Amino acid sequence: MQALAKYSNSAMTLVMLAVFVVMVAIASGYPGEARFMPFVIGIPAILLCFVQLFMDARERRKGVEDGEGNSDAQSRPMDAAIAQAALPLANEEQVSPEDKQRRELVLWGYFLGFIAGILLFGFWGAIPVFLVGFLRFQAKSSWTMSLALGLGVSIALFFVFERGLKVQLHRGFVVSYVMDLMER
Amino acid sequence: MIDIMFSSLWAMLSSPQTMGLMLIAVLLGLVVGVTPGIGGRLSIALAIPFVFGMQMIPGAVFLLTMHAVNGTSGQISSIMFGVPGDGDDAATTIDGYPMAKKGEAGRALGASITASGFGGIVGAIVFAIMIPILEPVVLAFSPAEFFLLALLGITFIAFVSGGNNIFRGLIVGFYGLILATVGTDPYTGTPRYAGDYLFLWDGLSLVTAVLALFAVPEMIALGVQGGSISAVSMETARFSYRQLFEGVMEVPRHWWLALRTSIIGAVIGMIPGLGSSAAAWFCYGHAVQTSKTPERFGKGAVEGVIAPETGSNAREGGALLPTLFFGVPASSGMAVLLGAFLILGIQPGPKMLTDQLPLVWTLIWALVVGNLIAITFLLFICRWAAMLTFVNGLMLVPFIVVVVAIGAYINEGQWENLVILVGLSAIGYGLLRAGWPRAPFVIGLVLGKIAEESLHKAMELWGMAFFLRPLSLMLIGLILATIAFAVYRNLYPSKAMQNLGFVP
Repeated sequence: MQALAKYSNSAMTLVMLAVFVVMVAIASGYPGEARFMPFVIGIPAILLCFVQLFMDARERRKGVEDGEGNSDAQSRPMDAAIAQAALPLANEEQVSPEDKQRRELVLWGYFLGFIAGILLFGFWGAIPVFLVGFLRFQAKSSWTMSLALGLGVSIALFFVFERGLKVQLHRGFVVSYVMDLMER
Repeated sequence: MIDIMFSSLWAMLSSPQTMGLMLIAVLLGLVVGVTPGIGGRLSIALAIPFVFGMQMIPGAVFLLTMHAVNGTSGQISSIMFGVPGDGDDAATTIDGYPMAKKGEAGRALGASITASGFGGIVGAIVFAIMIPILEPVVLAFSPAEFFLLALLGITFIAFVSGGNNIFRGLIVGFYGLILATVGTDPYTGTPRYAGDYLFLWDGLSLVTAVLALFAVPEMIALGVQGGSISAVSMETARFSYRQLFEGVMEVPRHWWLALRTSIIGAVIGMIPGLGSSAAAWFCYGHAVQTSKTPERFGKGAVEGVIAPETGSNAREGGALLPTLFFGVPASSGMAVLLGAFLILGIQPGPKMLTDQLPLVWTLIWALVVGNLIAITFLLFICRWAAMLTFVNGLMLVPFIVVVVAIGAYINEGQWENLVILVGLSAIGYGLLRAGWPRAPFVIGLVLGKIAEESLHKAMELWGMAFFLRPLSLMLIGLILATIAFAVYRNLYPSKAMQNLGFVP
């Protein structure tokens, strides 16, 4: 875990470097005018990534020399958004790094499951299940509260979008397939 | 000009739809401002699905009003519980919370709400005054300068948000710029990075990208943290309406300070990259420096509440100026707002001064009227609004995720955007976890198309010599100076701070 945290900055830089290299490489196959802008942005960005990698290495070396252990994580500047995300919760629960990682995985699981649910069963199939499930099992609300809030909000959203704004949201591949079969 | 000014006000006030939307926006903005975990830019991103299909003016008024009043309610938790709801509210906490502890919560709230509204109105007036002054300047800008302004905007945001490392901010800004090139090239018709995926031919959805980079990572971070904003019992913060009225009267009593800090805030807002936190802290510092009794600050001085609140809210009026006339958003919140304006069909740039002046005046009036409504509402409901700070953050997560998914889908009606939402959210969360700034990404993505168009036009007009135009040279000088100072600050942090007057 510590090694992962120590190299997290460099990992992010490498991800960015890979993105820019791939995009510039793809752009090299385009006609002159079409590749102009990707080159104007991509090539300096690749150079910036190398500068950043050098600075990451410098920070790590400085951390080792100063004997500060994981200096990378400690000296890393907190941008305004992070500060904002971390700021308000005075009543924040004290969580161990392992527990934090587990929570992250669970929350990502919920998010991915919800998106998969929308793709397969549509918005109106996935939203109530996701809301009730999250409120009951993650936010630890009572069944009554979870069902009331989950179903109430789902119905309200249905009326706002489908009836009020006349927007038809994705119906889901499974639902569309079943409805097509029934229509035949 | 005078005709347009008043006809815009009349058109806004006489439209039940626009006024109704403004009332809803004020209420939503106030609720969102006081609710833990939802910042200004996130609230705008979440509101985008609801303005889908709206006409340009009502939609723009709705979003701007919501954005403008967002900060007005944020200080409630700072004063009552000593917990700032946002970065810029931290300055208010220094004197607001000691006032509450002395049993003067009502007075502090009355002063801060009135000061915030006053600042918002003065910010709008400063913006209005700047229109005729800036008109010749804006119209003198050529495509070459607009391209360089886009780079300058990213550099400023990278400088401010990247902490002591500007390169991270620049990389993220360039990432936004390069993603803006996805889609059909306007000059050759070549589909760039789109392959056979037709949904990508129109480019990457701005709404999806913004939601993925900000909303999803913030919600996962909020879910991981858990807990509610306030650990303090509601009963411990004493409050009375008599005190509230006394607080309201503190603003006219300190009108000269309120006016000065409002103007300072509005001017800070015009500089891309300097957020509302900078405005709030700068104004707080100004109040301390100009006070005859600076020793009272930090112990419950009402001027310490008035100054940051006027400054941070006045900033919104000033920030509209570069956003609307130069297409360079002054902050990440303004970048999201600009993205929403583009969706509504508003094209920022010099034409705002010629063809779209009624819209500009409507937006100025929306700031004024929105702030007046917000003050009135908030003075009555601030006591109960404080209860929202007791909401458990985890309870908000699923509802916001649902709105995020709808927002990502609704703009283009493409299910593929949900897949893109997942992919970009992973990168957004990676940036958040690694402590990289995300604001430059939005600026890059919003400005990408404008930058490309301007660069092509500049190349057609002057070739590579466009760099040698005097205004262009000045902008290039500013970009290089910003980067050079950031590198110097990174290499010699203590020396840089001393040179700026911050002696540890």
